[in-house]
Amino acid sequence: MTPSSPPSHTKLFSHLYIEKGVLDHPRTRAILAKFDASKIVVIDHYKEVFNRPSQSFAAQSHAKKLILAHKEGKFLHEGSPYSDGFGHRQFFYASSVMGCLYDCDYCYLQGLYPSANTVLFVNLEDAFAQLLPYLGHDTLVATSYDTDTLAIESLSGQTRQWLSFAERHPNLHLEIRTKSANFRSLRELVPNPRVTLAWTLSPQAIIERYEHATPSLESRLKAAKDAVEAGWKVRLCIDPVIHTEGFETLYTDLIDTIFASLDPESVHQLTLGSFRMSQNHLRSLKKLRRSDVAFYPYEVRDEMATYPQAIEQHILEVLLAKATLYIPMERIRTWQRQS
Amino acid sequence: MIYLITALDAEARPLIEHYRLKRDLSLPYTLYTNREILLLVTQPGKINAMMATSAVLGWRKPKNGDILINVGICGAPPAYGIGEPLLIHQISDGERRYYPDILYPHALRESSLLCLDNPADAPCDVPVDMESSGLFAAATRFFQVHRLAFLKIVSDHCNPSAVTKEGVMALVRSRIPELEHLITALRESSAESPLFTPEEEKTIGGWKEHFTAAQGVRLEDALCYFRLKHPTSPLPFPSPQIPASKRERSVLLDTFIATLTH
Repeated sequence: MTPSSPPSHTKLFSHLYIEKGVLDHPRTRAILAKFDASKIVVIDHYKEVFNRPSQSFAAQSHAKKLILAHKEGKFLHEGSPYSDGFGHRQFFYASSVMGCLYDCDYCYLQGLYPSANTVLFVNLEDAFAQLLPYLGHDTLVATSYDTDTLAIESLSGQTRQWLSFAERHPNLHLEIRTKSANFRSLRELVPNPRVTLAWTLSPQAIIERYEHATPSLESRLKAAKDAVEAGWKVRLCIDPVIHTEGFETLYTDLIDTIFASLDPESVHQLTLGSFRMSQNHLRSLKKLRRSDVAFYPYEVRDEMATYPQAIEQHILEVLLAKATLYIPMERIRTWQRQS
Repeated sequence: MIYLITALDAEARPLIEHYRLKRDLSLPYTLYTNREILLLVTQPGKINAMMATSAVLGWRKPKNGDILINVGICGAPPAYGIGEPLLIHQISDGERRYYPDILYPHALRESSLLCLDNPADAPCDVPVDMESSGLFAAATRFFQVHRLAFLKIVSDHCNPSAVTKEGVMALVRSRIPELEHLITALRESSAESPLFTPEEEKTIGGWKEHFTAAQGVRLEDALCYFRLKHPTSPLPFPSPQIPASKRERSVLLDTFIATLTH
């Protein structure tokens, strides 16, 4: 007997690993309806799959699985020194998803997690309960810090849930950072002035080389433009900048391209920052031997790896010189190591 | 190398014939080999499976790109047809669970598997065997989970007395096409190309001997950077002799690293 021919490629989320305890959660049921061709594996705890030993992050990156789980501990964590809190009194990031649909060579998640699979915690209502005690004061929550929530919005619905929660809490500000082109999933919502949609933008050559499985620059710009036109506050992030040959032309052309597409007045802020990573995550990244980004001879100080100061300074000078042709300095935020 | 592991001689016989394997007496376990395949017969039970697998993989350590497949029969509930091949995505043994990573497309029915201490002679809810958990525990000391597969063929509906040696041989023989598909898929998803050729590794090792451990790490990082950035370019080792003076060696190294990472 001849076996039937296998499909030619593994589809995204070919397997759904679902904790027993969330099998009946409404979000689980909604996801199951969308992935009716995926194999369902019932598990006791997400760590059985996500944290199992002897996984290959690189191999899994081409065939990601989805794990649906209940988060038991803290959803909220204090913002790290590698990111900008934008002057808010309290700055948290929410960890409601582990892992990312995208596969960027420079991403610290490769050093942080043992698996390239995605864990989606379905009990987001518990994150809101944990946040409530802080909402007497001005508070920023980055909802897309360890992942790209907008990229999986049609699956998770989490961005909509955050937006709905933010509507009811006037001290809550959200930053939803993304590389996705998926603005359409928010199109019919009323913009909230306390919510910033932030698009990470890179030159197309950098996207092709280092940002695997992500939308093109053109698609991201289109999504950002749609968001601006719909009345959302939009931040554009050229961060991380990868110092590579032709960097000056690549990134200054990028700034020209951005502002040929978007009216500078419509952009709330532009952020600029060169690649940086904790030394521990960089060590893990090197073990994967996947990308030259991991092996650049960075300068390491206080456990943080960055480009040598002269290069970092040069990156900022080149980008600022071009960006300030379009947008005033007070609307540009930069990340630079404090010396 | 393809490591095929069965519990029973009857499961192994069709594979020995199909792949024209020869008996190998190197270890006190039942082994058959050819240039590409190593077949191990563990004898029934998870302890036997764990011991034999550990011994063989410790003796013939897997290399990049090698794969391991457990081929064998299993009992199953009546919802599974006799002779049906199953690809296992979860193995349960008491409180423990093990997950082979299925990263390749395939046309097999997937299933969980319960690993028991004794043959199942009462109705079971899921397919059952007696080796998979021991084999998985031993194999993952040597293999990443995406390079393992468990191909089980339903031999009975939890009625082991109905299973005969001839029946087992016929079942395994009938599923060799599925096994071959699985081997191809698993090898493709496990393929890895090392960054450096053996000759380059030798040259790198030779260079590193002239430097401190920390300098050696910097050199290797820079070489990785160069190779990942320029995959088709040869490594541009400078031709002059490595100087005897420590200071001159450091200067040479810094210059070389700067060239590699420019």
